[in-house]
Amino acid sequence: MVSVPLNAPSLNEASEKDPFNNNSYGTLVDRTYKPVALPVLDVTDFNERIVRGYEEGYGESELPADLSLARSLVPAGTASLRDFSYIAPEIPEYIPENCTGCMDCVTECPDTAILGKVLGEDEWEQKLQAIPEADRAMYRAQWSKTKKYYDAGKKKTGQGGMFQIIIDPSKCKGCAECVTVCDDDALKMVAKTDEVMVNARKTHRLFKDMGPSNDKYISDTLLIDMMLKEQTHVYTGGAGSCAGCGEGTALRMMCAATGMKYGDQWGIVAATGCNTVYTSTYPYNPYLVPWTNSLFENAPTYAIGVRMRWDQMGWKGKPLWVVGGDGAMYDIGFQALSRLFASGMNLKVFVLDTQVYSNTGGQASTASFTGQNTKMTIHGNVFGGKQERRKEIAQIAMMHPRTYVAQTSCAHTNHFYKSVIGAMEFDGPAIVCCYTTCQPEHGVADNMAGEQARLAVDTRAFPLLIHDPRAGDTVKKRLSLLGNPNMKGDWFVHPKTNQEVTFIDFARSEGRFVKHFDRDGNPSNTLLMAKQDRLENWRLLQELAGLR
Amino acid sequence: MSDPLATHDYSPGALVAALEFLKRTRWELRSLRYAHVWTDRLRIIDINGDAFEVRGVGFPDADVVPLLRAVNAAFDPATIHDPIDQDYKELATGRRHPWAEDRVM
Repeated sequence: MVSVPLNAPSLNEASEKDPFNNNSYGTLVDRTYKPVALPVLDVTDFNERIVRGYEEGYGESELPADLSLARSLVPAGTASLRDFSYIAPEIPEYIPENCTGCMDCVTECPDTAILGKVLGEDEWEQKLQAIPEADRAMYRAQWSKTKKYYDAGKKKTGQGGMFQIIIDPSKCKGCAECVTVCDDDALKMVAKTDEVMVNARKTHRLFKDMGPSNDKYISDTLLIDMMLKEQTHVYTGGAGSCAGCGEGTALRMMCAATGMKYGDQWGIVAATGCNTVYTSTYPYNPYLVPWTNSLFENAPTYAIGVRMRWDQMGWKGKPLWVVGGDGAMYDIGFQALSRLFASGMNLKVFVLDTQVYSNTGGQASTASFTGQNTKMTIHGNVFGGKQERRKEIAQIAMMHPRTYVAQTSCAHTNHFYKSVIGAMEFDGPAIVCCYTTCQPEHGVADNMAGEQARLAVDTRAFPLLIHDPRAGDTVKKRLSLLGNPNMKGDWFVHPKTNQEVTFIDFARSEGRFVKHFDRDGNPSNTLLMAKQDRLENWRLLQELAGLR
Repeated sequence: MSDPLATHDYSPGALVAALEFLKRTRWELRSLRYAHVWTDRLRIIDINGDAFEVRGVGFPDADVVPLLRAVNAAFDPATIHDPIDQDYKELATGRRHPWAEDRVM
């Protein structure tokens, strides 16, 4: 059995293996371990002995089967200590002179691996002087003077804000989502040479040492700026999701919006699925809030129990999110979800809608689109993929008594944040259903989560909506389709090409529909039925919202 | 838009040579993001904005179809040859095999 060597540096400190202490607690600034007052969990022992065992490669074979392991408890944020720097051949490089400070890259990263900071010019200069001279010029050159923070900041406060984007090399999986969402050519992928990695590690360390952003330069009304604040990084890097995972981004953004208002005073009940696998692969946990998991089918029921207990304890003000995917919410756990809505209790549901059972290998769910090639609706000679129509959980939820409902995507940042904040402000049951790209099952590249989510909305595959019971006494008053293109028309007409963008265009762009096109590119009858299904669904929403 | 990293002059009847040229995009470019196709040329662009260009073939030409297929572009062969008001057509190249068939873990 291997034991922790005496005098070994803490995993939360620099070491020979991690000389710049990149694998450490805190996202924008360093922090200590988060202790818990429970006799059954010793956070320091867990991190120093058990996490070390896995980081050094002997955990599974040599750690004793003691009570710490048997209880399956994992402290908050242990994923911060995980090193992913070896898994991708490339890493993004920041080009400060092109950056506008839009924060899209920071927001859309599924791994909390690209981070932003803004400091007043004087404090920035002062802090630079504390950096070893050998690294100062290299680090200084990585800050930018953007119109958003420097020019506008100067007008507002008398001094410009210096802005920086950095990549955490220990958490980046090289998906290139950040490069894809950057409209300003301020990021590009480069090979991970020794020199590139030393600079990235050093830069990440200096970034954390610079301290927190200056709040004077962060607008509270600009939702996309929220990730400049440490309290929003409730979902740390180090989760085991696939490169570019759309679910990872959705969870991060949901956590950010909740953390912005409630800090770490809230919790999550997660239904088994991909989301529980990559956020609780022992001993790594990316969440900084209480999190629990039971089964596929009982998360809403389980949450009702937790809610009751929290209310008994006087924790009525603490939000409780229930997270699940297609199986948990559309299918095997559907009755439990309906029961939650009917309860009228103050519970918030977050659905990671991948239109497939991603975790178990890509079987059809009732949320799969007509024609989708899945492992339970394989495209063959007799049947061309799934033959049923997609079930619409948002419409079903709307028909429950006094239930807040939103359908959104991470590519529509403002709509997403408003949906989540609206759900939390509502004093009853709420559901936010989020379109999440599953790269391997959808058949799209690692960098395509945002682009495909936007196309899903543009082509009526997945319309945006918010149904807020507080907005009026009719469905028409409660339901808003704001955010969808061409709200009153059938299909979106692309302004550049003047051509309709339909579900067929969406299908052409993803591998899961590729067998529906013949050699000449003509869509199959099944796919034309899918197109009609999406149009009818859209028209129904328009009718409910009073737009038809 | 910066100059392409490599170019190929297409000549009618020499489709195979153009296809061989495009194969190089797999190891000389990064993950492909777009195909831009003008009336007389085709440009393949990766996530960094680096590009390869085939000159002398454009969207009005029949041979553009196999070239676009070679880079996995999403397009409708029934309308690809239609004229447009803009300079070029932009086609996404982010489609991959489903079920992770092309992924090695």
